[in-house]
Amino acid sequence: MRALCWHGEEDVRVDEVPDPQIVNPHDAIVEITATAICGSDLHLYDGYVPTMREGDVLGHEPMGEVVEVGNAVETLEAGDRVVVPFTISCGSCWFCEEELYSLCDNSNPNAEIAREVMGQSPAGLFGYSHMLGGYAGGQAEYLRVPFADVGPLKVESDLPDEQVLLLSDVFPTGYMAAENAEIEGDDTVAVWGCGPVGQFAIQSAWMLGAGRVVAIDRVPERLAMAREHGDAETIHFEEEDVYDRLMAMTGGRGPDRCIDAVGTEAHGTGLMGLTDKAKQQVNLEADRPHVLRQAIKCCRKGGTLSVPGVYVGHADNVPVGPLMNKALTVNTGQTHVQRYLDPLLETIEDGDIDPSFVVTHREPLERGPEMYETFRDKEDGCVKVVLTP
Amino acid sequence: MVAAGSTTLASTNRSATRVGGEYPVSTEQRDVTDREPFDSQDSEPSRRPLERGGRIAAVTVGGTIAALGLRRRSLGGAIAALAGGWLLYRGLVGGRSEDEPVDTDAASGGGRPDAADASGAVETTRSVTIGASPDEVYERWRDPETMSRLYGGLLDVTARDEDRWNWTASGPLGATVSWDTQVVDDSPGERLRWESHENAPVSNEGQVSFREAPGDRGTKLTFRFRFEPPGGSVGTAVTKRLEIVPESLAAVVLDRFKSLVETGEMPTLERNPSARGAGDLL
Repeated sequence: MRALCWHGEEDVRVDEVPDPQIVNPHDAIVEITATAICGSDLHLYDGYVPTMREGDVLGHEPMGEVVEVGNAVETLEAGDRVVVPFTISCGSCWFCEEELYSLCDNSNPNAEIAREVMGQSPAGLFGYSHMLGGYAGGQAEYLRVPFADVGPLKVESDLPDEQVLLLSDVFPTGYMAAENAEIEGDDTVAVWGCGPVGQFAIQSAWMLGAGRVVAIDRVPERLAMAREHGDAETIHFEEEDVYDRLMAMTGGRGPDRCIDAVGTEAHGTGLMGLTDKAKQQVNLEADRPHVLRQAIKCCRKGGTLSVPGVYVGHADNVPVGPLMNKALTVNTGQTHVQRYLDPLLETIEDGDIDPSFVVTHREPLERGPEMYETFRDKEDGCVKVVLTP
Repeated sequence: MVAAGSTTLASTNRSATRVGGEYPVSTEQRDVTDREPFDSQDSEPSRRPLERGGRIAAVTVGGTIAALGLRRRSLGGAIAALAGGWLLYRGLVGGRSEDEPVDTDAASGGGRPDAADASGAVETTRSVTIGASPDEVYERWRDPETMSRLYGGLLDVTARDEDRWNWTASGPLGATVSWDTQVVDDSPGERLRWESHENAPVSNEGQVSFREAPGDRGTKLTFRFRFEPPGGSVGTAVTKRLEIVPESLAAVVLDRFKSLVETGEMPTLERNPSARGAGDLL
């Protein structure tokens, strides 16, 4: 089959690779009909995620049609149309039973590698490094889905792919970010990053009762999307001082809830921003925690910091003193996608939200390599790319 | 462009240098029967493994040095390669430190690193929490198919009968060594212990014990594996050659066993597609 494969920093190619096969009894094979590029794929593209191997198949936001199931699969059969969550979860371990699906104990065949770094291993993910499972991803014609009774969401309505595809990751990720922000009535919620996760965090903040939403970015079309689609007030962080503006907006209190929808490749300003970038490039610092710092500084005392943005390693100069003294709560984690699939599908089917508003580019899989570059460089108004194999 | 991690992955197992592992490699490993006293190389500081903090520092420094020599465009790849190499080395091969405290009551997934005694044996103890009762967990362990599945790709284990297993370790160039073990303590739902025969070319013993985990979380399984290579110092070379590292072996065996009990299958990258071909086994 054809698949988008990682060959090194800024080197993604369309390769002919072997077709996946049923290996375990709970596996299913899905023929992919639509597959998105995620902002977190750009961390792979830019070479910041360790334990990638040349030739790895990328992609963790796929959907398609089930073509084959293992003999223990009970809920799916050939012909079913499914959205596949990026998290692989067994459904049986203590974490899955607690609905902490992204912390599944049994889905990472390389758990020991993750354990060395993190102490314990989170769930295996599709197409996201060998430390996090090593599984081939979904930017391909076919995908092997382990534990197929637990992950894939059957879509029985005739909604087009584009409207349900983003249930695989960014819509639930934005939603969990808002849920993690512990929003209470009329809270002011500040969202750093107006990519797809930020856009869905904004939408979800309103769904969860926010009184006011402020979005922070520097890309004009993303800020425009946050204003027009998200009804958010916006701050262009290169044109205005974020702290000053947020204090002015909130009468010096600071936003009650802060969401870091940027993660490891934040574009800092000033000397600290430059230092982070330099240190990251010589491996003195794995992450650039600029947004984390700013959010801690801006957040209202006793407020909540929610971190859906992906970090990969360690970061310097994170203001733990302010974090502690201001009594902030931090909630984070890879998304427990399976927890949100049914309720969020319902919001789409009821017409409350159409997630396809973030999709700006629709291209064949063959154009994947160029689309990685366009998306990374935020050229051509690119917010979200959907590929069709 | 650096193919991050790919070369390190391929070479990881080959670089499985153990402490005191600077011995000439015998090509007649199977015939070695002399048991020379273990020449304690452990006391030689330069051969000591790194502690956790030291490991991190080493990586950072190593990364910086490497980065200085590289052009900017390939730095990300270099970082990935270095981090990947480190992670994979430590993850797959395991580290060992005499300085780390020994906690035999380690929490779920915890373990203690391999420790060597005067005979040159390496030993590891590791625990995992499994969501099933001690009796169920014991029964699964005793299932005749379980052994070969747990050790697959690491050691060939076949059951001669219920209590006798045959073990074969293979290395490069077709070197193999084979031995039998016998169950010496069988307490259903509590403990199972096995030992190699007195004249076996490899002295090997292991034990699994089962205890009810607190908070209704199933069973705490503790696995102990001791492996004494044939013939002391030369034998250490054999171990090295055969790439048997009890600590990482224990990690893989316990991860697989837990998954087998809890889900009925073991997560695998068998036939996993990539531009390298099909399959990404350990």
